[in-house]
Parts: sequence; C-alpha cells; structure tokens
Amino acid sequence: MSRLSRFEQLVLPHLDAAYNLARWITRNDHDAEDVVQEAFLRAIRYFEGLKGSEARPWLLAIVRNTSYSWLEKNRPADLVGLDDAGPLAAEGIAPGQAIGEDNPEVVMLQSANRKLVNQALEELPVSFREVIVMREIEDLSYKEIASIAGIPTGTVMSRLSRGREMLKRAIESRMRRAS
Amino acid sequence: MGVKTEPDDEPLIARDATYYRAPEALRVRVRAAVRAQARAQSRPMLWRWGGMAAAFAATIAVTWNVALLQARGGETERIAREVESAHVRSLMVEGHLNDVASTDQHTVKPWFEGKLDFAPRVEDLAPSGFALIGGRLDYVDGRPVAALTYRHRLHVVNLFEWPAATAGDTEPTAISRKGYVIAHWREGGLQYWAVSDIERNDLLQFARALAPR
Repeated sequence: MSRLSRFEQLVLPHLDAAYNLARWITRNDHDAEDVVQEAFLRAIRYFEGLKGSEARPWLLAIVRNTSYSWLEKNRPADLVGLDDAGPLAAEGIAPGQAIGEDNPEVVMLQSANRKLVNQALEELPVSFREVIVMREIEDLSYKEIASIAGIPTGTVMSRLSRGREMLKRAIESRMRRAS
Repeated sequence: MGVKTEPDDEPLIARDATYYRAPEALRVRVRAAVRAQARAQSRPMLWRWGGMAAAFAATIAVTWNVALLQARGGETERIAREVESAHVRSLMVEGHLNDVASTDQHTVKPWFEGKLDFAPRVEDLAPSGFALIGGRLDYVDGRPVAALTYRHRLHVVNLFEWPAATAGDTEPTAISRKGYVIAHWREGGLQYWAVSDIERNDLLQFARALAPR
C-alpha cells in the first residue's frame, strides 16, 4: 500500500475529531477549518512519526499544536491565564469527588440546555476547555490527553476537575441571571 | 496510573455540548491538499518547490470551486444533479443518446431549428480529441434544452446548452460527483453544462476548446 493510501486509511477518518478539537480551541468555524487543513499537511509531512502508535491521539497532538500556534499569532489574549495553581487546585479536589452521578448538580447540568453549556464551555480558559473537550466530547483516556497536551496525567485530572467546577459555576450563574 | 484507577466520571457535558463535525467542503479541501502534498514529497528535491506550488494551486482551485458552489448555493448543485441524471439516462438504453446521429455539425445544427426557442452552438471538436456524434432534445431545469454528444476515446460527453439566467461570461469550472465530472460555464448568453466520466482536466480541456479564442 502506498504512503498516501495508508495515510488516507489511518489518519483521514479522524477528520471529525480534528475539526471538533480545533473548533473548540479556536471557537470559530472558519479558523478551525484553516487550522485543520494546516494540521493535515503537517501530519502527512511527518507521517513516519506515527509508526505503530494510535492515529487519533497522534493527529490530535498535531491539531492542538497547530491551533496553539494559530492562537499565538492571531489571538494571543486567549492564551493568558494558563496557571494551574488557582484556589480550586490548592484545595486539592480529587477527580470525580466534586461531581458524582447522583449529585443534584449533575442533574442540573444534564438538563441545562445545549446553548448554555456550549457558551459556558467556550468561555472557559483554553487549557481547561481543551481537556474537557478531549475527555467528555472526544472520550479520550487521561493518558491520551496527557500525551496530546504534553502534560502529566495528574495535571490532566486536576484541570478536568477544576474545569468542571468552573463550568458548573458558570452555568449556575447564567441560570440565576436568566431566572 | 492505569485505566482501572480512573474514576468513573460520567460524561456531563457530552450530551449537551456540541460535537462539531467537519463540513463537507473541508473534507474535500483536506483530501486534495494531502494528496498534492504526498505527491510533492515523493518527488526528488528539485521538484519540491514546483510541487508545493502545485499543492497550493490545487488547494486554491478546490477552495475556489467549493466557494463558488456554495455561493451559488443549491441552484448549481440542483442543476448539476439534473445534468448528471440526464447524462446517465442518455447512456442507459441504446438509442437514447441521439435524436439526430451525425458527425456533421451542419446536419446537427439545423435539426434543432423550430424545436427550441434559441439557437444552440454546435461545433465538432474532433481536432481536439472530441468528435461530435449527434444531438437530441432533453429537459433540464424545467425547460427544453439542447444536448450535444461527443466521443472522447471510449467515453461519451454530454453537452447541455440553454439560455443563461444571468448575464456575463464565466470561465469553465469543474466539479466531481460520484465518478462523474461536470463542467459549467456561461458564454454569449448561453449556459453550458458538460458531463462525462473522463478526467476532470480532460473535461476542462473540452470546455476550453469550445470557448472561442
């Protein structure tokens, strides 16, 4: 099989995942399209780097890098506030502890409408937004997210729980304002 | 830290947040760009720059065609579909292809007289590799149109002509649909739709051969 057809078989099927991540990071359809095209050009250029590993996380790491380079160039303000050491992280919330399935807040989150969740998630700082998108929308494992974002698994977990907490608060305050 | 120790975090956002799927136009664009890039990479260094330029040009061309398609929206898409169906129908049963079978443009052109409310342009392009084989009446876009047929090696090209709804000439652009290529342009008050299963570039060559220089 040729290099191109191997690429088309292994990598191209993850176009939706690539677009979803780029769209959530750039928060704009058109920018996400440009980022994805650029990422795929990088991917075919460095296709040999995939070797035996999983194609989806490998591609998503490229998409993430491309998205960040794009943000640095076009919207550097989006990249400030990447600090993990906030009050919530200091409290040391264990992953999964703050939010459980039978928690009434979970029910609230679930019944909150799509628009509310989308808006709140969009307004989260990008470093929290991306781990939530990868974990909950893209269903990647902690290990995969860690390798894509180039951070330790522990950081993935703390960002996830802190991100969820921030999201929950944002949704609550939006709901309060709405009522 | 193994998979087992991961807490059972039930997706909360999964059901409410949007999973953005790649638009179809992006799919087309990415595939074309990747192909061009792969071809460029497989060439020796000397050819790289040419290849990159080609990749860039291919991307631009595809983007432009897609943009054009989107701008004209469903209209172009709808006619393209009709034209494609007419082409397929014309080849389904023997005798459907031509009402007048002739390689002589001076026989084919007069045959349309009195059958249409416009005079179609009929030209034999045998010197360019597209030999006229005949013509028929067809029905596209809610009106009778002229259909001219050409042979290119073992393939048939259907060329549909009828008066253009908008003024101004346009350069031929080609789109691919399910193995068929459809080229479209406007010239001298008529709109032209050519369809075949030949290579995209060959069909564009046909379109350009027809345009007066």
